[in-house]
Amino acid sequence: MATKPQKWSRREFLRDAALTAGAVGAASALPGLAGVGGTARAQEAKIGAQLIGKLEGPELILDAAKWPKKFAEAPMLADLVKQGKLPPVEKRVPDEPMVVKPLHGIGRYGGTWRRGFTGPGDGENGNRIVSTDKILFWDYTGTKIMPCVAREWKQSDDGKSVTISLRKGQKWSDGTPFTANDFVFWHEEVYLNKDLQPTPHPDFMAGTKSGSLRKIDDATVIFEFQDPNFLFVDILAGSTAIGGGQATQSMDKRSMGAYMPAHYVKQFLPKFSSKDEVDRKAKAAGFDGWVSYIKSRWDWRLNPDLPVLTPWKTVSPINTPTWVLERNPFYMGVDTQGNQLPYIDRISMTLAENLEVLNLRAIAGQYDLQERHTGLAKLPVFLENRAKGGYDVRLDPALNGSDATLQTNQAYEADPEVARWLHTRDFRRALAMGIDRDQLNETFWVGVGTAGSVAPAETLPYSPGPEWRKKWSTLDVKQANALLDKAGLDKKDGEGYRLRTDGKGRLRLELQTSAGAFVPHTQIAEMIKEQWKKIGIQGDVKEMERSLFFTRIASNEHQIALWANDGSEVLYLFPRHALPLDPVEALLGTPIARWYASNGAQGKAPKDPQMVKALDLFRSAAGKKTQERYKVAQEIWKILVDEQYSIGTVGLSPATMGVRIVSNKLGNIPSRQTNAQHARTPCSSHPATFYYKA
Amino acid sequence: MLAYLGRRLILAVLTVWAVSVLSFVVIQLPPGDYISSYIAQMSASGSFVSAQEAEALRQQYGLDKPVYVQYLRWMRLVVQGKFGMALEWGRPVSEVIGDRLWLTMVVSVAAIILTWALALPIGIYSAVRQYSVGDYVATFIGFIGLAVPSFMLALVLMYAGFKLFNMNVGGLFSDELAQAPWSWAKAWDLIKHLPLPAVILGLAGTAQLIRIMRANLLDELRKPYVVSARARGLSERRVILKYPVRVALNPFASTVGYLLPYVVSGSIIVSLVLSLPTVGPLLLRALIAQDMFLAGTIVLLLGVMTVVGTFVSDLLLLWIDPRIRLEGRK
Repeated sequence: MATKPQKWSRREFLRDAALTAGAVGAASALPGLAGVGGTARAQEAKIGAQLIGKLEGPELILDAAKWPKKFAEAPMLADLVKQGKLPPVEKRVPDEPMVVKPLHGIGRYGGTWRRGFTGPGDGENGNRIVSTDKILFWDYTGTKIMPCVAREWKQSDDGKSVTISLRKGQKWSDGTPFTANDFVFWHEEVYLNKDLQPTPHPDFMAGTKSGSLRKIDDATVIFEFQDPNFLFVDILAGSTAIGGGQATQSMDKRSMGAYMPAHYVKQFLPKFSSKDEVDRKAKAAGFDGWVSYIKSRWDWRLNPDLPVLTPWKTVSPINTPTWVLERNPFYMGVDTQGNQLPYIDRISMTLAENLEVLNLRAIAGQYDLQERHTGLAKLPVFLENRAKGGYDVRLDPALNGSDATLQTNQAYEADPEVARWLHTRDFRRALAMGIDRDQLNETFWVGVGTAGSVAPAETLPYSPGPEWRKKWSTLDVKQANALLDKAGLDKKDGEGYRLRTDGKGRLRLELQTSAGAFVPHTQIAEMIKEQWKKIGIQGDVKEMERSLFFTRIASNEHQIALWANDGSEVLYLFPRHALPLDPVEALLGTPIARWYASNGAQGKAPKDPQMVKALDLFRSAAGKKTQERYKVAQEIWKILVDEQYSIGTVGLSPATMGVRIVSNKLGNIPSRQTNAQHARTPCSSHPATFYYKA
Repeated sequence: MLAYLGRRLILAVLTVWAVSVLSFVVIQLPPGDYISSYIAQMSASGSFVSAQEAEALRQQYGLDKPVYVQYLRWMRLVVQGKFGMALEWGRPVSEVIGDRLWLTMVVSVAAIILTWALALPIGIYSAVRQYSVGDYVATFIGFIGLAVPSFMLALVLMYAGFKLFNMNVGGLFSDELAQAPWSWAKAWDLIKHLPLPAVILGLAGTAQLIRIMRANLLDELRKPYVVSARARGLSERRVILKYPVRVALNPFASTVGYLLPYVVSGSIIVSLVLSLPTVGPLLLRALIAQDMFLAGTIVLLLGVMTVVGTFVSDLLLLWIDPRIRLEGRK
């Protein structure tokens, strides 16, 4: 999948060049970057497509007969074994290891991988590297489910349970055996503890009923539901609260992840000593009480003592200027010759107080591998300095339909006239057809994105088909104007803008954008505003700080909000950017999400029957088998595209985490990797197999 | 004199208290709270926080309580010298600030020393040799220094440094040494990294001080006492340095009050641009995340510094300018 080459054309490149320079200048504060745009961009136009390579990656060897029998280890660990500080490698790797066939070949041990991060809020920077502590995972294509921490899984025929078998002999990073008891501990002492997890998590529910988990023997765990939940295998493999792995899901105040190191976490729970005792410990460490303390203790980024299953573990925490990870001597992964992974000893992430410095450091060759925070708009400068910085640039287009999506609030009511139009299908279609996506693509995606609707990549089983990428989503000013005239907006003012029908002057639509997004949404909105002049629609762009952006959405104040629809390409695992389901982030209308999440008890039912249909379809999906589920997803996408609740612009692009700066010294690096949330980019490329050549 | 000092002290304490109330209120003014910014950040990284979890977190951090209860809780901690927990960092506020405080001081003191070392002699020279070539050159550079925003200069110098000299970009240490424990090599590394931020931070101030020094000294030089000192045969050096310069220093002393908070917070934008591990970027980040304990503590610290600085500058003025001393005695 996803290997289909990008449609590539350089339309009217020169026309946009001047605009581009200005836009890039506004988007990036780096001097020089904007200036070099003109010439470098022209060259990059030709090589941009070459930067998108063939999708490739390491593979897991599942046939136990082909597994290595003898093991080898990194020199730094061999020394510790000699000193008697570590058991020998045969005793450390599981009897049933995860055997990875590296992409190009067996690597060398050693080296420090240099990266940049932006502070304690940037946990995903490291999470995504160490995510092989997930229960199940995807292969490098992001389409096939693979074992991970679990060696095997089996779903019952009725879809009501999933049994997973653990790897025999697997150990935590402190050498303690990892067993089914660690799952039971998480479920009973953490998940069901109201102080730590106040409500059941939707990822661990079938419909409205909570799931449960049970130990069968030390190496077998069963997840059970009262209703069929065929989706649950995908949930265990996805980047979800239950399947996302210990590192990602029990960090930053979260209590999920399905298992936890019982032997370590116990000491911070009141049940195993007393509330006074754990509170006293917490206060001594400067925390208010045991709840905040325990959450910091089971956060792999903050606590170097926490036992983990990840390939690397924290030695210098994320709340210091350098976040340093070091190899886990008990990691479960080995290569095909039995060398314990990872190859690289250490990962050192240095704090960059702002993104411009981070990008400039990447340009200067101070990072060995960086795909996070590197901006697409800076591509020309990255390319210009390739030889000097000793790196190469790879582009990994994502699979989601639109990096800048105009989400119309379907529950808006503050201004009845605006609400009426936002809730009119032909009006939304006209807005969509009034956007010149090719101009946006050339300007903000340096031409490497794909113009279209919100529908995901055609290569995915969820895709309704290629025609739905184009539907209502190509520039057609004539038809747009005709639709608007017909809808009753045929009166215009002196400047050619359409007038409201209630006689209160010009019809103005508020485009709300958030500062600091991966893609420059504000500048994009400004350009759309210019383009809409041709269809007589006045847009008002309002940029705000990110938390205000979401506060306004939560209080149902926005008319149209711009946001990426990342994650929606795997609709069932991350639907919130496609449908209003989750009141925390409901760009299509918070009251609708409240209504959906509470089964109609709160919020407001959508008036639009097509929206009701889409939500009903979504709710029915978890109880369906895989192929049927894909069909339902296609139906949902057809409704979403046809209705244009969310207006797509440009997507399938490398704008988010898809501009990869790779040092020439590194080996086993795929020329293209799957760029998606569920694939935990770059984790589906198994960073544990990356190595330094000589 | 003692009564004067006592009165100043009581006023200082009241001012600091007012600053703490104001800063707490101002930080709470924008809509939302730390949890809403946490949720926003989570969704930007593709994670999930349910409404119930958000509520539980609010309770855990006491954010569901009214502002004055939160303030009193914080004050109780401040009185104990604890300052609370930096929410985003998951570490006590004192540690988070402490880490950065003294590096901030090193950078700022370097900038101040540079400012004074350049501004005073150049200012004196410009005044004494008014309308000479040197004066014009100093004036020209001074005006440019005043007019160019320092963050812009930082960006240009950083890019030029990388392009032309292959210098490290931003920060105060080389990558290899940032993690290392303190050693001579690390101290030397720091000294090597200092000039760029010091020049950038100091330049605008230098330009300003040159102008002030020049204007003040020109005023003084024309006064009769200078003429008479010269007429009585004092050496030119002594004529200028002993009296007019000393009087012209007056504004320097009175700005010491603003220097102290500057030493602590540096210039936020420049530190951000240069990626300096100082208190400035920390404050900005805390404000964005609505982490009122961290932001409040930093603002409080700046308030205390300003108050202490003003107090010190009053004392300095007493020392430099005999006229003020005489007024005090009356």
